[in-house]
Amino acid sequence: MRLLTARLLDSREILPGQWLMRWEAPWLASTALPGQFVHVRMPEWAGMLLRRPYRLNTFDRIAGELTLHVRVAGRGSAWLTQLRPGESVEMLGPLGRGFEVDPRSRHLLLIAGGAGISGVRALADTAVAEGRQVTILFGAARASEVYPASLLPDEVEYLVATQDGSLGHHGDVTELVGTYEAWADQAFAAGPPGLLAALARIAAGRDARLGVARLGRKRGANPDPLGSPGARRKSWLQVALQQTMGCAVGACLGCVVTGVQGPQRVCREGPVFAAAEIDWEAAG
Amino acid sequence: MKRKKTVITSRGAAAHAPRPRAPQPPRTPVVPSSILRLPGEKLRSAELADERAAARNARNAPAAAPAPATPLPPLAAVDLSVDLAPRRDGALVLRTPVMAAAGTFGYGVEYAELVDVERIGAICSKGTTLKGRTGNAPPRVTETASGMLNSIGLQNPGVEAVLERYAQTWAAWEVPVIVNVAGESVDDYVAVVRRLDGEPGIAGIELNISCPNVGKGGIQFALDADAAAQVTRAVRAATQLPLLVKLSPAAQDVRRIAQAVADAGADAIGATNTLPGMSIDRERRRPFLGNTYGGLSGPALKPVALRVVYEVAQVVEIPVVGIGGVASLDDVLDYLMAGASAVQVGSAVFADPLLPVRLADELEAWCRDQGMTSHRELVGAALPGRRDRPSMKGAEYRP
Ligand SMILES: Cc1cc2nc3c(=O)[nH]c(=O)nc-3n(C[C@H](O)[C@H](O)[C@H](O)COP(=O)(O)O)c2cc1C
Ligand code: FES
Repeated sequence: MRLLTARLLDSREILPGQWLMRWEAPWLASTALPGQFVHVRMPEWAGMLLRRPYRLNTFDRIAGELTLHVRVAGRGSAWLTQLRPGESVEMLGPLGRGFEVDPRSRHLLLIAGGAGISGVRALADTAVAEGRQVTILFGAARASEVYPASLLPDEVEYLVATQDGSLGHHGDVTELVGTYEAWADQAFAAGPPGLLAALARIAAGRDARLGVARLGRKRGANPDPLGSPGARRKSWLQVALQQTMGCAVGACLGCVVTGVQGPQRVCREGPVFAAAEIDWEAAG
Repeated sequence: MKRKKTVITSRGAAAHAPRPRAPQPPRTPVVPSSILRLPGEKLRSAELADERAAARNARNAPAAAPAPATPLPPLAAVDLSVDLAPRRDGALVLRTPVMAAAGTFGYGVEYAELVDVERIGAICSKGTTLKGRTGNAPPRVTETASGMLNSIGLQNPGVEAVLERYAQTWAAWEVPVIVNVAGESVDDYVAVVRRLDGEPGIAGIELNISCPNVGKGGIQFALDADAAAQVTRAVRAATQLPLLVKLSPAAQDVRRIAQAVADAGADAIGATNTLPGMSIDRERRRPFLGNTYGGLSGPALKPVALRVVYEVAQVVEIPVVGIGGVASLDDVLDYLMAGASAVQVGSAVFADPLLPVRLADELEAWCRDQGMTSHRELVGAALPGRRDRPSMKGAEYRP
C-alpha cells in the first residue's frame, strides 16, 4: 500500500457513460493482484472530501500500466472521466484482498453484471496466463450495454445475457450458470447486489448437493476458519463487493457489509469474500 | 536527552516547565504481526514470544533508558508543544498541536504503513465501550457538500480486546494515544475508564459524550449540563489520567455545558463531535444511511465547531481542542485564534493521510515566518476583550 501519482495515458468511452482509462503507475501495476482496488483522490476545490474506490480493471506489469473501468455515477466519476491524457491523480493502493484461486482449479467461471465486470476482468488475464480455462457470463439490460468482446483476452469463452433479449440469452445472467455449475472448479462474481445474492443462493444449493461430501474431512476438526485464504480457496463462489468508503485502510469502519460473523470491512477483509461469509438477508 | 519545553496554557497564564514524559522504552516493531494477521494465518509461537519479550522489556525499562531511537524532529526556534492537562504536571504534553481525531484514525496501526505516526501530536482511538459493539447497519458513510456523514455506531471490540490488541504497540510508541471512551450510562463510562487506568500505553481519556450515532447514551450527556457534569465527575473520581471531554455542536447553550464539565474536573475540552444530519437515496426513495441519521463532519462543520470553540474558550480556563473540518493551515490558525490550544484532524485524513504531520510542519514554518517562537502566542488572539454575546442571540434577525 502506497500513496502515489498516476498519469493518465488515454481514456475512451467504451459504453454509454462507461470509460476505460489507462494510467501509468509502475509500482501499482507491478504489485497489484486481481480483485484489489485503488482509492483515488478527488479535487479539493470541488468540495469532494472523500476519495473514490475503483477496482483494478487490468494491469500490465511489464508496461507499468493499469486500467480503470469507470461508470459515471456521481460527481467523482464525472470529474475523473473528464480528465485529459497527461493529467495526474493521486492513488492509494493496491488495497484489500484479491481473489483466492486454488492452484488445482482448471476451469474458472467469471460472472459479471454491467460495469461490475471491472471486478473480475483482471482475473481473466491472470487465469489465462496461468493456463486455466475461463468462461465469462455477462449480464446487462440491453445490447448497447454489453461489454465489447474485443476488450477480453482471445482465450476466454464469452456468453451474454440481456434482459430485453436484444443480444444473447433473453433473461437473467443467472440462468446461464446452471450449464457451467458442474464444469467450473471455482466461480468469481461481481455486479449489483441482487445478482450476487442470487448467485450466492445457487452456490449454497450446489454446496448442499455436492459440497458437503467433499469438504475435507481429512483435515479433521480443524478446517480453515471462515474468511481465511484457505477457506476462500475451497469455497466455490467468491464475490467482489462494493461499499461507500472513508479511509479504505481499515481505520474508520465505514465500509462494512453484514457478514455471518458480524460486520466485515470491504476495504480490508474484502473486497473479495467467499459467498458463505456474507449475510445475504441483511445485505438485501 | 530530551529538551525541556516551556509550556504556557491557553490563557497565557502561569508558564511552567512540565516534567518531560517518562523515559521512552526502546522501540519494538511498530505493529506486532499479530495485528496484521489474516484470519486463519497462524502466528508462529516463536514470533509471539519475541513480541511478548520485547513488550516486557519495554515495560521494565530502567529509568536511565537510552534516548529514543527516533530523535525528536529538529524544532528549530519554534516550539509547537502544548500541554493539554496543565493541572497534571506534564502528563499530557504533545509535541505538536495537531492530533488525529477519534474514529477516523482507527487504533493508529491501520495507518502506520503510510504515515510516520510518531510525528502526530496525539492519536485519539476509535470510541471504546465496555462490551464490544457491532455498530449500525450499512451503508455507514456518504459524502455531502463539503462534508460527509457517518453512522458507524461505535463499532468496537470492547475495552478488554482493545487493550489486548493495541496497548502493547501504543506503549512502544512515543506519540501519546488517548482512548476515546463511550458508554450508555455513567457506570459504563466509569467501568471503561477504571479498566484503562494505569495501563501502559494509555496517555489519556477522551470522553465521548457526544456521539449522535447510538440510541442510548451518546449525545444525551452532551446536551444537558447536569448530565455532562455528572459523568465527568464520576470519571474524574475513577482515574488520574488526563481527561478530555468532547462536546456536541448540537447543544443549545454550549457555554453552560463547557462550564459544568470544567467544574467537574475535566483537564481539557474537545469541540466538537459531529452534527446530526441525513441524506436520501433518490433511486431507492429512502434514507441513504442504514441508520437513517449520521453525523456531519468535514469543512461543512467547521464554522459551527469554530463558533463553539470561540464561545467555550471565553468561559473556561482549561485548554480547548478544536475539532471539525480541519483540512488546511488556515483552519488550524482559525481555531488557534478562536481560542483552541490544539486541533484534531478527522475526515480530512481520508483524502490525505499525511495531513496531520504536514499541518504541524506548515504551522512551524508559518510561525517562523511571523517571527514567533511558539504557536501559543496565537491562542485566543481573536477572542474579545470582554465576554462576547452568546451565538444564539447573535443569530437573531436584527435589521
Ligand atoms: C467515520 C467517523 C467515525 C467517528 N467516530 C468517532 C468516535 O468513535 N468517537 C468520537 O468521539 N468521534 C468520532 N467521530 C467524530 C470525529 O472524531 C470528529 O469529531 C468529527 O469528525 C469532526 O472532525 P472532522 O470534521 O475533522 O472530521 C467520527 C467521525 C467520523 C467521520
Ligand atoms: S473504508 Fe474505512 S474501514 Fe473500510
